[in-house]
Amino acid sequence: MKRLGIKIGVVLLVIIAIFIPVNEFVKESWEYNNNRAVLAFKEDPHPVDIINLGTSHAMYGYSFKSLGLSHLDLALPSQPIEYDLKMLKEYDEHLKPGGVVIVSLSQITFSNSNVGRKENYYRVLEREDLESVSWFNYYTHERFPALNSGSAYAAISREIRDFRFDAHKPWENGGLNYSERKYEEVAAQYENAVNNHEIEENMAYLQDIIDYCKKQGYRVVLAIEPVHSSYHAYFDEAVMERLVFQHLEKLDVDVPFLNYMGDERFIHKQSFFHNPDHLNRDGRKLLSTLVYEDLKRLGYIQDEDDNMERE
Amino acid sequence: MTFISIEFLLFLTLIVGTYYVVPHRYRWVLLLLASYVFYATLSIQFIPLLLISTAFTYVIGILIEKQERKEQKKRLMWVGVSVLVFFLGWFKYFNFVNDSLRSFATWSGFDYDVPYKEIVLPLAISFYTFQAISYVVDVSRGKQKAERHYGYFSVYFAFFPQLVAGPIERAKKLLPQLKTEQHLDYDNISYGIQRIIWGFFKKTLIADRLAPIVASVFNSPDPTGSEIVLATMLFSIQLFADFSACSDIAIGCARLLGIRLSENFKQPHFAVSIADFWNRWHITLSMWLRDYIFMPLAKGKKKREQIYGAILATFLVSGIWHGAAWNFVLWGLIHGIYRVFGDHTKQQREKMASWVGFDRAPTLHRWWKIAITFQLVCFSRVFFQSHSMAEAFSHAKLYVTPSSWAPSGMMQAIQMFSLLDLIIFLVVFVVVHLFQHIERTRGSAWDWMARQSAVTSVAINLFLIVSAFLFGVSSQGFVYGGF
Repeated sequence: MKRLGIKIGVVLLVIIAIFIPVNEFVKESWEYNNNRAVLAFKEDPHPVDIINLGTSHAMYGYSFKSLGLSHLDLALPSQPIEYDLKMLKEYDEHLKPGGVVIVSLSQITFSNSNVGRKENYYRVLEREDLESVSWFNYYTHERFPALNSGSAYAAISREIRDFRFDAHKPWENGGLNYSERKYEEVAAQYENAVNNHEIEENMAYLQDIIDYCKKQGYRVVLAIEPVHSSYHAYFDEAVMERLVFQHLEKLDVDVPFLNYMGDERFIHKQSFFHNPDHLNRDGRKLLSTLVYEDLKRLGYIQDEDDNMERE
Repeated sequence: MTFISIEFLLFLTLIVGTYYVVPHRYRWVLLLLASYVFYATLSIQFIPLLLISTAFTYVIGILIEKQERKEQKKRLMWVGVSVLVFFLGWFKYFNFVNDSLRSFATWSGFDYDVPYKEIVLPLAISFYTFQAISYVVDVSRGKQKAERHYGYFSVYFAFFPQLVAGPIERAKKLLPQLKTEQHLDYDNISYGIQRIIWGFFKKTLIADRLAPIVASVFNSPDPTGSEIVLATMLFSIQLFADFSACSDIAIGCARLLGIRLSENFKQPHFAVSIADFWNRWHITLSMWLRDYIFMPLAKGKKKREQIYGAILATFLVSGIWHGAAWNFVLWGLIHGIYRVFGDHTKQQREKMASWVGFDRAPTLHRWWKIAITFQLVCFSRVFFQSHSMAEAFSHAKLYVTPSSWAPSGMMQAIQMFSLLDLIIFLVVFVVVHLFQHIERTRGSAWDWMARQSAVTSVAINLFLIVSAFLFGVSSQGFVYGGF
């Protein structure tokens, strides 16, 4: 037994020696810090003019700082609409009276009920708001994220993302390969959601968000962010009607809907996109400007010049 | 708390540590509590069903043994088996039968009003029901004495390492071990730990890595033939890795407590025939089906057609056990047909092999048979993996279409992996095959490991653990845990 104890001891020592640098690597990784915007806000909470919800499309979509608005981005990758509501309720105390809530819709709004990475929420939501959380993962995530299954792999694969099959590169074949893969994933997810009656649940969550905003006196808009033409080729009007619009029509959502999905100012300009369905910095800047103008047009925000004139 | 979790490892360490400290006469209490706690963390709402099934099986076993005449024993045995099968049938098959009857009624124009019921399948019910049936039948046949100690019996029924996904143990193998005082033993601990590490390695690096890749193809609305071919073969590997990992962990956990469970896999994808495959895949289920379905059906039968009928019925039961859907029934039937065809054509195939010249190249012949058997098994798994009959037939058609096997299509299909995933898979695949090569050439890879120097042993275990830690992913559970 002494020999076994020594073997176990040696193995544990080596694992700890490997674990320490890997843990640091994971802590620095993009995946671990996915929720950096929300965490930064938690460090320095302040009143905000606009909150946006949604998935990664919205996460890459908005930046209002240069337009003189304070903004809180509560969107996270693959965020289900149920979690949009949870995030809103957690942070809306910082939204100024009459502030704006942008509820981003996407192809998966009504079909996605699964959180992309539960770890994204460990430090931004209360534990009671999270479902089926491993206590071990939850309490070790902040200091020892490498202990969470798949975290090291995710960090490593992000670092070597330039090394991939040509067919997997986002702009291969003009973005059509990427868009086709996304379409197949979304189509399978939608069918699954229909079979499990998840569409109706997600419709109810969207209604809850709108009702909540109205009750709180927030000005709420629905929005769909721009996509590249290659993505639009697969997610055209007919597909979007099936995935999103037919369900939206059934709801009592008497709120403005800013649909930039087929916007000509973006759709043929690869230079605005990081990949076919996510804007880059330039695209984000343009979209934010357009949204700002649209919100002003709706009377949801007033710019500083208007305020000064009134004074 | 699934097997693949830090929580389970901590739980196991606590149980094993306490086990050797507690006096032997109280160890059954510890094991029983551990088993119920383990089950409760996975499926607390079905603890009452587990308790009721345990109590019922215990009582019926004693009642059977008390009967003096064989007919009375048999009658009570049938009562016991019927009740156990009823529980299984209600939870697992009610909606399958209901939907099938509704479809038939719709097709034939009859009214059918029985509504769909939201019935949740109790975890592990297929496994513990079969284990209970084997106990009841063995008691009625006089092969097993009815256990009088309710505590030991309850541990046998709910023993946590094998409760969720087997191996399906016979009472005459497990009960005596539970009652024998086990001492802390270096070999048991060492073997148990290594077996668990190996299970973690296969589960996190093969099964759970392959699962989303395979699912993406089978969930795709329009997969190519090459994608179906590749995904089906990968699914075979995934299923083997998943299920054998579960068995490895179960066997490892039990060995830490000094208890030896049955082996459930013996390199099934190296089987030389379908009959051989079922002697290597889910061995405890195969033995159960042989002893409790095939043997009673085939008993006294002299005509070959009657034996074939018994074989087909046995495989149909196997198919139904695996899932409450017609594609599983069809999967079982396909294996039954394979088995019957194989037996019926054995002489002709041997003659053909001789004519081709295989008898002069036995190694080549053997690998040829392995390849054919693997493809037959993979083809059947198209039905196992598909979500509906229509989809199953569509995928099966793609599988057997020659153009699906074109090298160019297969090279394209390989891109269902990301580059990193492909590299990880290839490395791990080689490691697993090295392990299996050692098993084939040296008898037991575990004995071989035990003979290695401390440095080699530590290095191998480190490689396995670090690989699983860096590149492993874990999903919600085991595929067979859902049965």
